[in-house]
Amino acid sequence: MNIELQNIRFSYGSIKALDGVDLMLGAGACGLLGPNGAGKSTLLRILLGFLKPADGEGTVLGYDIRHEPFAIRRLVGYMPEDDCLIPGMDAVTFTAYFGELSGMPRQEAMKRAHDVLFYVGLGESRYRMLETYSAGMKQRLKMAQALVHDPKLLFLDEPTSNLDPQGRVEVLDLIKDISSKKDINVLVSSHILGDIEATCSHVVILNKGQVAAQGEIEALKAVTYSLYELRIKGSGDGFIRALEGQGCRIEPTEDGLLKIYMPPGLPRTALFTTAERERVQIRYFVKSRTSLEDLFAKTVGVD
Amino acid sequence: MTAVIRADNLSKWYGNVLGLSDVSLEIEAGITGLLGPNGAGKSTFMKLVTGQMRPSLGRIAILGQDVWNRYALFRRIGFCPEQDAFYEEMTGWEFLTGLLDLHGFSRGEAASRARRALELIELVDAKDRLIRGYSRGMRQRLKIAQAIAHDPDVIILDEPLNGLDPLSKRKVIRLIKDFKEAGKTVLVSSHVLPEIEALTRTIVLLHQGKILAQGDIPYIRDLIDKHPHMIAVTCRDPRRLAAAVVGESSILDIRFGPDPGTVVFETRDRDRVFGLLTALAAGNALDVEEISSPDDNLQAVFDYLVGR
Amino acid sequence: MPIAEQGYAHWTGTFVERRLPWWPVTRLGIRLAFKRKFFKFAFAFSFLPAFIFLAGIYISERMQDFQFMVRGRQSVNFLNINPAFFRSYFTADALLFIMVMLMVLAGAGLIADDLKQNALQLYFARPLRKRDYIAGKLFTAFFFLLSLTLVPGLLFILFKLIFAGSFKLLVDFPWLPLSVIGYSFALTLFLSLYTLLVSSLSRNRRYTAILIFVIYILSDVFFGIFYGIFRNPYFSLLSIKSNLQQMGAAIFGVAPRYNIPWVYSFLVLAAIGTASGFILKNKVRGVEVIR
Repeated sequence: MNIELQNIRFSYGSIKALDGVDLMLGAGACGLLGPNGAGKSTLLRILLGFLKPADGEGTVLGYDIRHEPFAIRRLVGYMPEDDCLIPGMDAVTFTAYFGELSGMPRQEAMKRAHDVLFYVGLGESRYRMLETYSAGMKQRLKMAQALVHDPKLLFLDEPTSNLDPQGRVEVLDLIKDISSKKDINVLVSSHILGDIEATCSHVVILNKGQVAAQGEIEALKAVTYSLYELRIKGSGDGFIRALEGQGCRIEPTEDGLLKIYMPPGLPRTALFTTAERERVQIRYFVKSRTSLEDLFAKTVGVD
Repeated sequence: MTAVIRADNLSKWYGNVLGLSDVSLEIEAGITGLLGPNGAGKSTFMKLVTGQMRPSLGRIAILGQDVWNRYALFRRIGFCPEQDAFYEEMTGWEFLTGLLDLHGFSRGEAASRARRALELIELVDAKDRLIRGYSRGMRQRLKIAQAIAHDPDVIILDEPLNGLDPLSKRKVIRLIKDFKEAGKTVLVSSHVLPEIEALTRTIVLLHQGKILAQGDIPYIRDLIDKHPHMIAVTCRDPRRLAAAVVGESSILDIRFGPDPGTVVFETRDRDRVFGLLTALAAGNALDVEEISSPDDNLQAVFDYLVGR
Repeated sequence: MPIAEQGYAHWTGTFVERRLPWWPVTRLGIRLAFKRKFFKFAFAFSFLPAFIFLAGIYISERMQDFQFMVRGRQSVNFLNINPAFFRSYFTADALLFIMVMLMVLAGAGLIADDLKQNALQLYFARPLRKRDYIAGKLFTAFFFLLSLTLVPGLLFILFKLIFAGSFKLLVDFPWLPLSVIGYSFALTLFLSLYTLLVSSLSRNRRYTAILIFVIYILSDVFFGIFYGIFRNPYFSLLSIKSNLQQMGAAIFGVAPRYNIPWVYSFLVLAAIGTASGFILKNKVRGVEVIR
């Protein structure tokens, strides 16, 4: 287990930010979701040791969050959401500086800074002044400084904010690559569900200061075996009637998607045979699953 | 349909830095997505459309009238900018009613419109709190509120979903779709392409100050010759399926993977291949699990056109 | 020959426990200060008083060569190298002003810039104590201020001994080196804390720069106004400059300008320093509460 928390509580004055959070996070990439004000940033701050919980215990990578925050910070990399760079430096100096502050010897930090900057894609621009960096480059620089000391656990806070579509894909690919190394674990906090689905295998949903749901994304999404989603080309009416004749229930949705509830015992192939008979092409065919968005809505509750 | 927003040879330079070059387009009622990499000219276009800047060349007109200095027209335009800039010492209510006052509404009308806007974006409880204490999501929603409170016909939104949690996003998407139903014209710009796709199929893609593509997403996708359409099929025996169609001349490329049960076909004639697939799936014991078109979405269109 | 693996590689080194954890912060502060356009020039210029006084020491030893300077005048008192000489250098209005200006150029942004750029969250995501961060910034200021006080002070003593060829200076005033060291550190510590305090008050470097300058000048102006009206020397406690000068006079065993116990000046300065300590601890946080 990389992160274990028991009954963590924290309040800002009278506002209860975390109200009894229990968490067990293992290896791999995990997404952290929640409405605004649910306590995500507070949780990250407590994990990093910026804040001490009012109540509760916890360990990160085996170190106690109250008493050993420095040991935790050595092994953890944090990529903040806001822009944060020191003007007047170039990327190598910046990255090496923070590597040094993490406890690396100066020359090691310098060497490692170069390697990490190449890895995140800033190799060509690593001697340029930070003021000249574009938004995408700044995000990657933030990732570089989080990786320079080879952390075991990486916290990424809204990693794709302010990025254009190309930048988003590049950063997501980078995250996927990092988390594919079996021994770096990643915790991604984001509001963009697509990003979480693309990069994470697990998810934790916070709501009102508590954990509303946690687990594997695939497992949490209810897999309804008998429900399929289809798009067809051709006259749909005959097709629909034929299927209903076989016991299916059809729900057309807006923009042309058909939801088909199959009766037990009817094999999938029946859809295709019916389609062929009715001279209809099936152009899109997937087993219906709850989307992460629906899961979120269900867990957090549509108020 | 008549164009609501119309640009003719619109160009804008900042000194010698190019903003837009020779942009001609027509935007009709409904939702249109505006996309492009950073520096493509999206914010320039939005500033020109909302009358904040004057074109260097060409014209930009809304409902037939040039936008620049046309104050009467401003009343019919709502703009939600990307930047976060508020008067922090005001409450949300004061901010909104203040702006409505500027539009010339009477006290009472300003109040009722403000209330209606706040209800739409669910900020009524916090209306008397100082903006300084608002969370990011609340500030974003307030921005949207000021863009719609005066009931404009044309709404320009720059990254409207930025900073909102997934549920708020859903609500705002629904709100924007309601505007479309009400016959308004909405221009939405965003970098998160799945969010644009959730709103509309009509896009304008800008690149290096020019229009790269415009129109219906599937239509544009069809036009990209260089990248034939991909069709991914997951079934029990992908190789048998591949073997069955390999003789078909309309199939240009066959790839297996990444998952063990998946095979990906590339073709320019989707119609033929789908017809074939349906027939094959019906006949042989292939037990097709999934059929999809992995690059038939906005992200793929963007990648292919803008290039990585 | 296998192809070397591209992509991410793990680091196989070991972490070190630094003896001086604040050192990288200081090093960076000094480097960033020198990057500013006028700073190199200003820093060089700030040694001018030291050179003048150093020349004075040389002249004092070779009075016979410089008789032309004494023509018509009685003894040129200021060329007696005694504690009063040192006090003149260390409490010269010009020197204090130059030091404050150096802080305006190099010190105003020490904390203000980090606040503005949100860099604090990067600092404290590291195993860095708050006190190490503050110490690092403090010692950046120390570097510049001590090089204007301690270094010239000790050099004056050294050169005097060399030029005189004897230890007469030290025999006469054995506690002089201690005074030099003591006052240098006291002055440096106070000005550094003052600078950091003001720097942490705002995110805007220009604003803090102006504040550093203005508070210093205004404190003296207020003193001048009240003294002009009431003629009461106790108003000198209002002026930062006067407090520093009182303390300097006391440390060098010379009569102070204003007839009040120097302890009061020391207490005023200590109070400001302590307040600075508290406010810094409060302002320097890894976390912003509003989000």
